[in-house]
Amino acid sequence: MHCLKLIPLNWLRAAAVLAALTAAVAPSTLLAQEPATGLNPSSQELLDRGDELLLRGSYLAAIEVLSRVNDEFFQDQADLGLSRAHMETGQYAQAEAVLQRALDEPADHPELATRLAELYVMTGRSRQAEVVLAEVIDGQLNPPVRTLVQTGLVLALRGDRDAADVHFNAALARYDGGMVFESADVAMVAVAARQLDEFHDANALFSEAVRLDGNNIEALVLWGNLFQEKFNDQDAQTNYNEALEINRRYAPALVGLARIGSPERNLSRALEANSRNVAALQTFGELMIRNGREEEGLGFLRQALDINPESIPALATLAARAAMNDDMDEFEDLRARVNAFSPESASFYASIAEFLGNNYRFTEAVEYARRAIDRDPRNWHAHTVLGGNLVRLGEESEGKRHLEQAFDNDPFNVLTSNMLQVFDVLEEYATLESEHFRVNMSQRDAQVLWPYMEPLLEESWDRLVAKYRFEPEVPVVIQVFERTEDFAVRSVGLPDIGPLVGICFGKVVTLISPDTLSANWQEIVWHELVHVFTLQMTQNRMPRWLSEGISTWEERQGRPEWGRRQGLDLIRAVQQDRLLPVGNLNDGFTGANSNADLSFAYFQSYLVVEYIAEQYGFEDLLALIHEYAEIKDESDMFANVFGVDMDTFDAGFRAWIEQRVADINVYVHAEDSPDEGEGHGHGVRENSSAILAELYNNESLKQYMQGRVQREPRDFQAHLQLGIVLFREEAYNDAISHLRTAHELLPDYTGYPSPSLVLAQVYEAMGNEAAKREQLAIMLENQQHDFAAPVELAEHALQVGDLDQADYYVDRALAVNPYRPEIHRLGAELASRQGDTGRTVQAYEVLLTLDQSDPVAARTDLARAYLENSQRDEARMTVLRALETAPTYERAQQILLQAVESPEGD
Amino acid sequence: MNTTANRIACWLLASALWQVAPAMQAQSADDESMPWFQQDAGTNKYAVIVTGAAASADIAERFRRWTRDLHSTLRDDYGYDGDNIRILIDEGQPLDGLTVSASSRVDDIADTLSTLQTEVDAGDQLSLFMIGHGSGTFGDAKFNNVGPDMTGADLASMLAGFTEQDIVIINTTSASFEFSRELSALGRVVVSATRSPSERYDPIFAGYMIAGLQDHTADLDRNGRVSILELFNYASGRVAGWYDEQGRLATENAVLDDTGDGLFSREPGATQADGLLAEIAYVDVIVPEAEKTSPQARALRVDMQGLEREIFILRNQKQNYLEDDYWRRLEALLIDLATRTRTYNALP
Repeated sequence: MHCLKLIPLNWLRAAAVLAALTAAVAPSTLLAQEPATGLNPSSQELLDRGDELLLRGSYLAAIEVLSRVNDEFFQDQADLGLSRAHMETGQYAQAEAVLQRALDEPADHPELATRLAELYVMTGRSRQAEVVLAEVIDGQLNPPVRTLVQTGLVLALRGDRDAADVHFNAALARYDGGMVFESADVAMVAVAARQLDEFHDANALFSEAVRLDGNNIEALVLWGNLFQEKFNDQDAQTNYNEALEINRRYAPALVGLARIGSPERNLSRALEANSRNVAALQTFGELMIRNGREEEGLGFLRQALDINPESIPALATLAARAAMNDDMDEFEDLRARVNAFSPESASFYASIAEFLGNNYRFTEAVEYARRAIDRDPRNWHAHTVLGGNLVRLGEESEGKRHLEQAFDNDPFNVLTSNMLQVFDVLEEYATLESEHFRVNMSQRDAQVLWPYMEPLLEESWDRLVAKYRFEPEVPVVIQVFERTEDFAVRSVGLPDIGPLVGICFGKVVTLISPDTLSANWQEIVWHELVHVFTLQMTQNRMPRWLSEGISTWEERQGRPEWGRRQGLDLIRAVQQDRLLPVGNLNDGFTGANSNADLSFAYFQSYLVVEYIAEQYGFEDLLALIHEYAEIKDESDMFANVFGVDMDTFDAGFRAWIEQRVADINVYVHAEDSPDEGEGHGHGVRENSSAILAELYNNESLKQYMQGRVQREPRDFQAHLQLGIVLFREEAYNDAISHLRTAHELLPDYTGYPSPSLVLAQVYEAMGNEAAKREQLAIMLENQQHDFAAPVELAEHALQVGDLDQADYYVDRALAVNPYRPEIHRLGAELASRQGDTGRTVQAYEVLLTLDQSDPVAARTDLARAYLENSQRDEARMTVLRALETAPTYERAQQILLQAVESPEGD
Repeated sequence: MNTTANRIACWLLASALWQVAPAMQAQSADDESMPWFQQDAGTNKYAVIVTGAAASADIAERFRRWTRDLHSTLRDDYGYDGDNIRILIDEGQPLDGLTVSASSRVDDIADTLSTLQTEVDAGDQLSLFMIGHGSGTFGDAKFNNVGPDMTGADLASMLAGFTEQDIVIINTTSASFEFSRELSALGRVVVSATRSPSERYDPIFAGYMIAGLQDHTADLDRNGRVSILELFNYASGRVAGWYDEQGRLATENAVLDDTGDGLFSREPGATQADGLLAEIAYVDVIVPEAEKTSPQARALRVDMQGLEREIFILRNQKQNYLEDDYWRRLEALLIDLATRTRTYNALP
């Protein structure tokens, strides 16, 4: 762990800080001025000052000061500083010139030669680096630790792992022999330990290096990289920030930070300091490609490879992209480029596998991860990638085996240990099977949720198979996690997943248990199962926007009350010109900066699918899905299916949207904030303005809203808020008038509170229960996430003997929250009155789990239900458990006697 | 020497015998070998409800409501003679037409208990319910009443004279633990709404305790009576559920001691050190059953009581049997009991 480091605050530091602060604007001559200690500084003073300027990131000033060192004794150190200043600002040719000028015989200047070798590696000349380093080692009895380690790194890069390990071990032996004293050298030993998979030692050595010199920013960043490699972002971030406190322009720290957060800002800062930093360019390229900005991303990768043609991460990203596009010629070309300097590189294949896995191409990811392991069985990262992707394909046992292997050898990898911990959780879970599904869920969910989930799963299967004329591979694996952290780790490896509540990997679906949600879980399950179809139909090649669009569209097909009704958001988006072109819809997901953005991305994708279904028909939608099964240009797919190019299609969609906005015909005031909800659209979306009106109604608000209504009679929000304010003032009739107007303006509004919900409250206050129930029923036509209203309506329906209505509303309540005992009591009573003994048993079985307040009564009720359902053995055992607690309980005694006495006719 | 094991064995027997045993007097606390709570229809039950000072008007109203509800429940549902319930509240102000005996000042509590001591007979049961705020740290716990606060040691000394009665103390105040610990004694059942001095927020235990009493809701074994153990389990379970539902860390955890060792249990019961005495300590006043007239019925009644006894013994020795064997034996006894109960009910 980190320790506080004391940085000597001497005049040099003060001067350097001043210099750093003014570096961006001041001319270098000013920065290079010596402190007032003398007009002719010595070479030692110049060297110290130059190093300090370099440390603080005042590169130009450092170059000027170090260039003035003219003393043979200090020349190597000055040249090292100069070359570093050039390298950290991307002036690789100048750096090389400095080093070449000083080097006549590499073995005579081992530090300079090693720096030159590092420069060669940075610029894609690993072979030359190998030669230079070999000369140093051959010419020195005890070559510097840095030389040993850099030699190992070059040999590892070039595929000679065994020879590399010899040098790493030599560096460690040097340390073990007590011959390593300098912070920089200790950091190099740490690098060697890391390469030898001695992660614990590497961590301790980095710690020691930083303790020896708190200003060793190279050690800080390398240590941070180790943390980050193990997915310990918190400690990594601390290290990067400490390095940046010393040198705010240190590009390696900025690149590290970019991999944790604010990537564009940090990478831009890195490139400002060093526009030719290969890691920054390559990371930027990956980011752009991940965000759907392919051309920009490719541009960055090309720049990276122009500088360093041997950048394996950049080549791997291009190769992975080629593999995703089935462009095997391009892939082979890239592979050949890698093979030219690093034959069959394991890290190349592991990076490809990781990229493919992140893009849902799990089958291919597994294939490449296996190739990486074939080449280097000690590549634990590849084992983790392989394990994670196997799990997503439902290959649990083999996946676990690889994760365990990775963990055994690299226990510091947080991602690996997280994923393994979820296996421990799953071991405690129940495994349930239906005809087409295998489901893991907690024992509690197995009791409470499964009875209602199983029929839903099979219903969705039957309907979707018939509709899409496609049978996914069975069994589809569904994992329902009680803890959000477990769901997140199982889904993405790390415990933070944002607003997502379910993820489909094609053959495997992960879900958060409905017990932790306030949303219609059945809609979520249906949504994810549609992904199973669309992803498997396209071998996971379907873009996210279309997959989400179809799943969201299918919500509406599943049940009338499901789906999203975001008319106000649509009008607002059109007013603000926020609708994305159809060809850029994926950007809505990858570029979402808030839950609201993500929710709207789902909504617009859904609208495109609805447009297709409405204007072209479902068969064309199906044809489009099949198009995505093959690698083609998206515009060609659209042309093939719809007979128009993307622009024409987009124009048609826009016109359709305009018509829809015109049909909605509601005025949206620019000041009103959009409704907000969690779960990217699964769940109630709150109308914060209306909630505030409920809490803080006042005269001025009323007058303001009345003014809005006078100006814009179709101002939905103003009518709603007026209705709320007037309701609070008990002006019920006026409230009803405005609320009814609001409802007529936007009858399918589903935000909270909705006009129909407030109307129900008004009627309740007026004592008109029938009108209240009528409004609740209206609300439920479009509101699938409410629990209280269906319970109330079910209770009333039971009271009046309308069993069909009671049935409907009990189901509606169960679809939201099956964990509340009251709904199962209602369900049991309903089933009993319907004579449905099986369903009665089911309700009482769930109640036994949920309601622990009176276990004797619960068991007795269940035993009676078993008896009526001809389950005599279950009745007997259940009532025995009741009587164990209450032996004199006569109701239970009677059931016991009925259970053990021979039925009539026996 | 009387060991805990001996006492437990004694209570096991007592729990099995309590219905069939002839009238037995509660024993002197000096005679540890004799069981307690051996009650019959001749046993009188007394309740003293001590309600302390409240920190605000809202809280005062809540304390008054609890006091009122507890009084009416004991009187109406549990067979307590109104004269046997003493209310000592705050300044002694009237409480909705109920007879308030005195204030809850220390002196008034002492006087009331002293007077009561002269009224009770050997074997009677005295239940002391404490409602209000408590405070304190280790060794200095207090019940917040008007005037000088009362310590656990003060109350222990006031109760010291009830040597021949069965004592139940239910302290529902905040930081009640240290106070309650002072009251532990052999043969007593002591319930504390909190388990440590740090649990100093006003507990909700009293509300759930009264809810458990109302309509005999806490009668989990369906025998028509509510034992202190049942009441404790009901209320503490509800409290835990409330905190769980609120998504809050529980700031109160009720505990019970009925072995007199001052070591309280959070989950008293058959497998715990505490709970066996609380299981036979009933809140209800025992009402004489309407006697069946036929000799057959009287004989059957004896048989049924014997069967119950066997069931209790078997249940308390569950861990000594293999699972299947246990259930087979229990089923046989239960079928026998159910059959006899059916026959008994049909007899005149």
